Amino acid sequence: MFTFTEEQEMLRKVIREFVEAEVAPKAQEWDEANHCPVELFPMLGEMGIVGTFVPEEYGGAGLGFVERSICLEELARHSAGLAITVMAHQLCMGGILNFGSEEQKKKYLPDLATGKKIGSLSLTEATGGSNFMGQKSTGEYKDWQWVINGRKCFITNSHLADVDLWTVITGQNEKGKPIMTAFIIDKDTPGHTAGRTEHKLGLCSSNTGDVSCVNVKLSPQQMLSQEGDGPKIALSTIQEVGRAGMSAICLGILRGCLEESVKFSNERIIYGKPLNKLMNIQFTIAENKLDYESAKLLTYRAASMKDKGLLCACEFALAKYAGNEGAIRAAKRTIDMMGGYGVINEYPIGRFLRDTLAGSTAGGTSDILKVVIAAETLKR
Amino acid sequence: MKLNIAVCIKSVPDPEWYEKITIDIKTKTITRKGIPSIINPVDKNALEAALQLKEQFGGKVTVVCMAPPGATNELYEAMAMGADEAALLSDLAFAGADTLATSYTLAQGLNKLGKFDLVLTGTESADGATAQVPAQLAEWLKIPHLWNVKEFTFATEQELHAKVKMDDAVGEYVIQLPALLAVSREINKPRYTTAMGVMKARKKTLTILNKNDIDVNKSLIGQVGSPTWSGDISIPSLARKGQELIGTPEEIATQLIAKLRAAGINPAKRREGDGK
Amino acid sequence: MTHQGIWVVAEQTVSGISRVSFELLAKARELKEQGGLQAPVTAVLLGENLDDYYSAKLMEAGAEAIILVDHPVLRYFQNETYAAVLKSLVEERQPSIILMGATAAGSDLAPTLGAKLHTGVSAHCVDMRLNEEGHLVAVVPAFGGKVLGDILCTNFRPQIATVRPGILGKVICFMHKQCPVERFDIADILAQDQSRVKALGITYEEMKGVPLEEAEIVVAGGFGIESKEIWQQLETLAAVLGGAVGCTRPPLDEGWAKESQMIGTSGKSIRPKVYIGMGISGATHHICGMKDAGLVISINKDEKSPIFDVSDIRITADAATILPLLIEGLQKNEDDVIC
Ligand SMILES: Cc1cc2nc3c(=O)[nH]c(=O)nc-3n(C[C@H](O)[C@H](O)[C@H](O)COP(=O)(O)OP(=O)(O)OC[C@H]3O[C@@H](n4cnc5c(N)ncnc54)[C@H](O)[C@@H]3O)c2cc1C
Ligand SMILES: Cc1cc2nc3c(=O)[nH]c(=O)nc-3n(C[C@H](O)[C@H](O)[C@H](O)COP(=O)(O)OP(=O)(O)OC[C@H]3O[C@@H](n4cnc5c(N)ncnc54)[C@H](O)[C@@H]3O)c2cc1C
Ligand SMILES: Cc1cc2nc3c(=O)[nH]c(=O)nc-3n(C[C@H](O)[C@H](O)[C@H](O)COP(=O)(O)OP(=O)(O)OC[C@H]3O[C@@H](n4cnc5c(N)ncnc54)[C@H](O)[C@@H]3O)c2cc1C
Repeated sequence: MFTFTEEQEMLRKVIREFVEAEVAPKAQEWDEANHCPVELFPMLGEMGIVGTFVPEEYGGAGLGFVERSICLEELARHSAGLAITVMAHQLCMGGILNFGSEEQKKKYLPDLATGKKIGSLSLTEATGGSNFMGQKSTGEYKDWQWVINGRKCFITNSHLADVDLWTVITGQNEKGKPIMTAFIIDKDTPGHTAGRTEHKLGLCSSNTGDVSCVNVKLSPQQMLSQEGDGPKIALSTIQEVGRAGMSAICLGILRGCLEESVKFSNERIIYGKPLNKLMNIQFTIAENKLDYESAKLLTYRAASMKDKGLLCACEFALAKYAGNEGAIRAAKRTIDMMGGYGVINEYPIGRFLRDTLAGSTAGGTSDILKVVIAAETLKR
Repeated sequence: MKLNIAVCIKSVPDPEWYEKITIDIKTKTITRKGIPSIINPVDKNALEAALQLKEQFGGKVTVVCMAPPGATNELYEAMAMGADEAALLSDLAFAGADTLATSYTLAQGLNKLGKFDLVLTGTESADGATAQVPAQLAEWLKIPHLWNVKEFTFATEQELHAKVKMDDAVGEYVIQLPALLAVSREINKPRYTTAMGVMKARKKTLTILNKNDIDVNKSLIGQVGSPTWSGDISIPSLARKGQELIGTPEEIATQLIAKLRAAGINPAKRREGDGK
Repeated sequence: MTHQGIWVVAEQTVSGISRVSFELLAKARELKEQGGLQAPVTAVLLGENLDDYYSAKLMEAGAEAIILVDHPVLRYFQNETYAAVLKSLVEERQPSIILMGATAAGSDLAPTLGAKLHTGVSAHCVDMRLNEEGHLVAVVPAFGGKVLGDILCTNFRPQIATVRPGILGKVICFMHKQCPVERFDIADILAQDQSRVKALGITYEEMKGVPLEEAEIVVAGGFGIESKEIWQQLETLAAVLGGAVGCTRPPLDEGWAKESQMIGTSGKSIRPKVYIGMGISGATHHICGMKDAGLVISINKDEKSPIFDVSDIRITADAATILPLLIEGLQKNEDDVIC
């Protein structure tokens, strides 16, 4: 059985206090204005919410993934857009932390972990999302420098990041397979620019867009790990940091749905009684509760396995799958339950549905998650 | 100059839940079941003031609370916020204390814990809300105090200059250290507790002291040591049988103006000096 | 028991004597009658330049004996000196009951005196009576006013209580002959007083319009007023009605209103003829300060808001919409009256 320690319970309490004071009152406004509240980053950094899993020697809070999931769940309870912004920022930190040289860690992590700088991870391209080996961006070694060219799409923090991790193809191996390599690109490197900004269905208070490199020249010190390590870096970061984060974000949205459904059904009077005296409405509540509790168990179990150093790719896939699909169901159910009020934007429930739909692909589509789960299960 | 500061924090049922409070008619006790406990809100301002002083001058901040054992949570939270040490004064014999016995117990606890340059408290608790503990605590400690302090600075190393909230006024005082200040919520905005703070808290020292640990005179503590005692308690009903005004906003406004006139309220005559 | 009689510790203000002192004298007279007590109701006043005006006022409000402590050091409230003076007076004269206003000074002085005399203090009472044995039963609020408890102090004397200003409400004008006025000399006490606190001065908040406590009509606004602009309309409405503006805590935090305008447990207790509340949810903390109002009118956009349970007239509407209509309607009527 998974239970939280006293510290973890207290962490949740203090993060919740912060989120209720600084995030909840503005979440709807940010969403409507397509505003990503980067101005909160220094504060989030001070709180230890962005650098949760970064060791203290690099300016982080030195905590684990259970704690990180707690923070993301609490953020996403009121603003999934802000939560995915933090999550994507952590992808960048995760990559550097797990694969960077000591020098790179010292150079980048302290500012990232404290929210003074913002990070991003740019993998996806028009030709390579789920099929990420289909990427076309290139890196060429010329005159003791790497020259990067290519365009990435759907990148969270595309227009905000100070530090951007890229994967590019740097050649072919003897079997003719592409060799993928990762680089750290600083914001002001000539030729590195943000392109279009996407207008999304949901997660509107996060920034998503294109980033391109045109003859961006990098010194070899900017390479992350070794040539050819790109897939390893990308996969492990997406699975263990990205998917893990997205499952906690889905969980936060799910809790939002559950709490909204309870509140509304208590307060709405129909036939002279609270709505929740109707049995079908009680069923809605029960189903929302089940979706939340099952996603919660899956998420925190996976996170605690990760903290123990166990293999947990399948567990995070299960958690994100259950959380995302659960949140879609719960949001829809709650909207139905609320009648006309369900589609009025003064209630956050519509935003929850949009956010969870928009979060479906990030960290792996449900299909991809099922592929991972099935592969693991059939192996046994 | 290093300051040794004590902050008294009370563990109280969360005021957001006061609508849920009921009374057990038989035992005449207040039922607060299911209501979470928190640090008395203004006590966080006191702690914030202490932490700021420590950051400025160096020193140590100790939080002290008299409560049943469950209040360790609030003390850990205070240490997570930044306090260096905590002490819980807890003993069955402390139960049922009025403000005189509460402040006596706190004073004995503080005397046991050391010599403090400054003792900070909140102006009043959210639950009992007598606002009497600060003044009485200062009396037991034989140190001067100010209550309802909204601002203070060091005048000299041994003296504070303080602004005190009076009725529609502000009083200014100079007070010698060691002293007790009961601060009001405008004094600052308490910081948020960070993730790092939470994790450090459990590594800090929390001492639990019972009646034998703090040398108390048994006739001065708990119910026995309380000159006041409480008789009946009740939850008064304030319900009024209301009438609802309905219609368009214009209709409502017209009806309301009629009601005001019926109650003998007419628009202000244009007297001299009135309005613009 | 040797302790006898009821004392009221009155309070000097810039403009004379605080109103709560008079409320307490009326109550003290009532208690004396109720308990069939012999000893005169005594008013004690500490301050500076206490001329005949003060004793006349106290007498008129019901004092049957007066002790004036007049000294320049008592110009500003200063707990240590005030408490030392009262302690020696009380030890010498031994009253049975001491009532003080739960003002900033009274709330701080009473507990100090209680501790010095080792006796019980009932805080911020909303009412009081004597029981059959003649003990004071003080009704004390807790949990933001939601709960009321009877507090007794049967084994110690004097019994000290502070009473919230405005809560007793009644001030009675007594037609009096003369009453003894004594001037108490504190030279000896001051000689021993080694006060560690020095009062430098006091600055009064600038008040405009009718004071909240005295207004016949109060227009109170809460967080539902939503902006400074709408708040100004609320102020206009109050001005048009010749009333005062009150508030809950959030408008204070938002900077729309001032501390002195807050109604409730940590603010003022009011009892106007008419109270109009707008955008106020009805937290216990607020209600306990306005529950004694005559006619309670509430405007809230949420039909289930708890304020409606304690209202005579309920209006489910947007405050921002109703406000200009009311102002306009009232001004029109006003012109009708004038023309
Ligand atoms: C809000 C948001 C934020 C994002 N942030 C980032 C970011 O920060 N960095 C980044 O690099 N990318 C980011 N992405 C991109 C995201 O990772 C991709 O959208 C995702 O990997 C899917 O790729 P795709 O869009 O190309 O879809 P495709 O891969 O083209 O998928 C199309 C369909 O095919 C299905 N499918 C694909 N492969 C398989 C398979 N093997 N088996 C079965 N079905 C399959 C999918 O389930 C889907 O239904 C973000 C996306 C969104 C929406
Ligand atoms: C209905 C009711 C009425 C009451 N009336 C009276 C009464 O009239 N007279 C009376 O003497 N008692 C009364 N009491 C008892 C009183 O509430 C308790 O003695 C209580 O323990 C302390 O008083 P307080 O909560 O009012 O604190 P306050 O005096 O309002 O608290 C001010 C500050 O003192 C500090 N402090 C207070 N208590 C503690 C603590 N336990 N640990 C650490 N710091 C603390 C905090 O910094 C706090 O902000 C009443 C209780 C109830 C329930
Ligand atoms: C120790 C302590 C002491 C306190 N002391 C006091 C005190 O003395 N006095 C006090 O007032 N509070 C006090 N409080 C705060 C109190 O608990 C409540 O938080 C506060 O009274 C709530 O104020 P409110 O009703 O304005 O705001 P809310 O509770 O936020 O309510 C706003 C209301 O406005 C309505 N509304 C919103 N928009 C509109 C609109 N456009 N038109 C009409 N209605 C609208 C909403 O439906 C809601 O009912 C104290 C709290 C504590 C912890």
